[in-house]
Amino acid sequence: MYRYDEFDHAFVEARVNQFSDQVARRLSGEISEDAFKPLRLMNGVYLQLHAYMLRVAIPYGTLNSRQMRKLAHIARTYDRGYGHFTTRQNIQYNWPALSDMPAILKELAEVEMHAIQTSGNCIRNVTADHFAGAAADEIADPRPYAEILRQWSSVHPEFSFLPRKFKIAVTGSERDRAAIQVHDIGLQLKKNDQGELGFAVWIGGGQGRTPILAKKIRDFLPEADLLSYTTAIMRVYNLHGRRDNKYKARIKILVHETGVEQLSAEIEAEWAHLKDGELKLPGADIAAINAYFAPPALAPRAEGWGELAAWKKSDPGFAEWVGRNVAPHRHPDYAMVTISLKPIGGIPGDASADQMDAVARLAEEFAHDEIRVTHEQNLVLPHVALADLEPLYRALLTDGLATANAGLITDIIACPGLDYCALANARSIPVAQEISNRFGDPKRQAEIGDLKIKISGCINACGHHHVGHIGILGVEKKGAELYQISLGGSGDEHASIGQITGRGFEPGELTDAIETIVDTYLANRTGAAETFIECYRRIGAGPFKAALYNSESEAA
Amino acid sequence: MKTTQTKTKVLTANRLTDGISVWLGASGEWTTSLKDAFLARHEDAVAAIEAAGQTALADNRVVDVNVIEIEETESGPRPYRLRERIRADGPTIDYAPASAARVSQAA
Amino acid sequence: MTVIWTQNGIVENDPWVSDVTGADAPKLLPLAEALEHSQDNAPFGVVLQPADDARALAPILESVAIVALTFPAFSDGRGFSQAMLLRQRLGYTGELRAVGTVLLDQVPLMLRTGFDSFEVHHAPTIERLVEKRLPGIDLHYQPAADKTDAGTGYSWRRTAILNG
Ligand code: HEM
Ligand code: SF4
Repeated sequence: MYRYDEFDHAFVEARVNQFSDQVARRLSGEISEDAFKPLRLMNGVYLQLHAYMLRVAIPYGTLNSRQMRKLAHIARTYDRGYGHFTTRQNIQYNWPALSDMPAILKELAEVEMHAIQTSGNCIRNVTADHFAGAAADEIADPRPYAEILRQWSSVHPEFSFLPRKFKIAVTGSERDRAAIQVHDIGLQLKKNDQGELGFAVWIGGGQGRTPILAKKIRDFLPEADLLSYTTAIMRVYNLHGRRDNKYKARIKILVHETGVEQLSAEIEAEWAHLKDGELKLPGADIAAINAYFAPPALAPRAEGWGELAAWKKSDPGFAEWVGRNVAPHRHPDYAMVTISLKPIGGIPGDASADQMDAVARLAEEFAHDEIRVTHEQNLVLPHVALADLEPLYRALLTDGLATANAGLITDIIACPGLDYCALANARSIPVAQEISNRFGDPKRQAEIGDLKIKISGCINACGHHHVGHIGILGVEKKGAELYQISLGGSGDEHASIGQITGRGFEPGELTDAIETIVDTYLANRTGAAETFIECYRRIGAGPFKAALYNSESEAA
Repeated sequence: MKTTQTKTKVLTANRLTDGISVWLGASGEWTTSLKDAFLARHEDAVAAIEAAGQTALADNRVVDVNVIEIEETESGPRPYRLRERIRADGPTIDYAPASAARVSQAA
Repeated sequence: MTVIWTQNGIVENDPWVSDVTGADAPKLLPLAEALEHSQDNAPFGVVLQPADDARALAPILESVAIVALTFPAFSDGRGFSQAMLLRQRLGYTGELRAVGTVLLDQVPLMLRTGFDSFEVHHAPTIERLVEKRLPGIDLHYQPAADKTDAGTGYSWRRTAILNG
């Protein structure tokens, strides 16, 4: 993984000093909250319902055990012993004091981490496929490009006061595990006919109150042009994006209102001036960054094959976990392991300081010191020998981290919602907990199969409900919580936006409604091989709506 | 002379230094417990807490100052909005599960 | 209080400062008027609003004494891109001034995008500027319009040239 050089260390240190100065000026009253707010946001500091919140970037979701231990230490020392991993591959702390922020950021800098641009109307933490560098289906590792973008966008003088936040995601394979079609810029690494590396470029995807899928504006952008082309997009957006209405300020609205042909023509025209300038990436630089991401030397461990078969036979719990949470690595003797942060009835994405320490220890012992954070709020150990799976599983069990539900109905994404968030209309976490408890039985979950439930506590859609197979959106109606359900969303390479089923559900009815939807699927599927989303796409919303609302219309 | 009675209101904010939710108390101090909040039952009292809020904001002691409506109940003031009830009582979930688990293991 | 600040300190009696009035005071002209007056002999300056196309100045830049870019609110960052276009696309080398809401913490970014003078109203900001205590970082991850050193690191990195 990337390691800071002297330049990076000096930069982050200077940034910590800069923010410490800003905090000091705020605490002394020299600057008002209005002036301070954009500054603190650009350092990841929000004000929530109960306290400040700090969002720390985990660039493209990659971290090592030393960094994970630091995250645990911060949770213990400056917070209440836990943190929340988010859909944007960040971690959020819910209780830090403003006066402690300089100290926290200093500690993060010691392990090459920061909170720069995790909020504010700037280019945010660049996200990438959490299986990067390990997945069997990968064309190239997206992280070196995410790293180049991260560096280039850090404290960018031209693009720090954009019309709105700006999110870039990079994926390295056809299988889109980075949800690029719901990002402001989505980059998909690919090779052209000559075997050269480049990107398909998508712009204008986003969720929030107006969910829109991205449009492809370029089928192939040579890798050398990554920064000049991104600059062209950013400049056109910065000059022309709407600033009169913050709900219409994202680039997706500019794409929509200008038309993708015209906007991409403007971008291409701007790029023509930039393309052969100083932003052109020399091959040597790309190679140097790539070298940081060279995969660890994985020794052959063929003995794992036989052992694995034997372990699976003797322990059905282990077999089930392997079936759900272990995915094929490009090295046949290794695997990628998903550590679920979704214990049955638990808080999606939360991890205690002890659990973070445990994961750090296990990553060192079994996984070449690498950890990933997924946009589904789980953790991943990307390089585990098959021969180590059983001891790893035993260790995870002791720490409550062996829930075998990756991709199942209880692997729910949920935003913090009204339990923490100042913008929320309704709670998300208790909703997730109730659904998780209802469907927690391993047999039942396995019977239902792949199903993604995603929950947001308001229309901002931080919980990705628009791209949930089942999406749940909390709204406030007459002072009470109400939940809208949408069906058929998907955030992968076959992206789609879910459709609202009809009237919303009160908290007490919601889990029953989810059960009705699941039962309708089970009754209609052609067999266990047809997943929920496939079935929905085949039969449409009709049968689900009928099951949810028919008794009502009959009664009416 | 009393001014027109209104729905009972309290003044709430978050402390500048640590962001913790606070309510304006009867003697002008900021308290971390809604139970100790000053209850403004009349227009002049509401105007007074609004003014106190503006002063505290300008003095950089608190941020996000708001006057909220509450219902007076036997167990104390109860905000009408769920959001404000959660601000007063904390998250509705058992939010630090592992440390809770540690406690129960120790017991 | 309104002052004009540059890297050399406060500018006394700046003719273009916005609160100077009087018949013979030169004026900053809005874009449309500037395009009309480009044949006049008297020196004139231009003030652009964020929605103006900076590239429209190309034909008259030779006769412009100063360009001012307006920041109606700190959150409106269009002026940063206008400045880049003026400096890099049009090759403008004259004075480039930031007017409107000029926040201390934005001044380093403005310097990078090619601004060299600033109309400032906020007293604590003026004080810091006078003391030259700018909250900027001298290490940059991207080229911009300011004079920097490309060094030998990655092609996109730059360092500030101090006292250059
Ligand atoms: C807790 C404080 C949070 C606040 C105040 C907040 C605020 C917002 C707002 C205002 C938007 C809408 C932006 C727009 O449509 O222009 C948004 C979108 C989003 N947020 Fe958050 N958010 C918070 C937490 C989170 C968390 C915990 C996550 C990850 C789990 C997250 C990830 C996202 C994502 C993925 C989107 C939607 C995608 C998009 O940008 O279109 N946010 N957030
Ligand atoms: S979706 Fe709404 S409630 Fe949930 S975290 Fe985002 S802003 Fe808060």
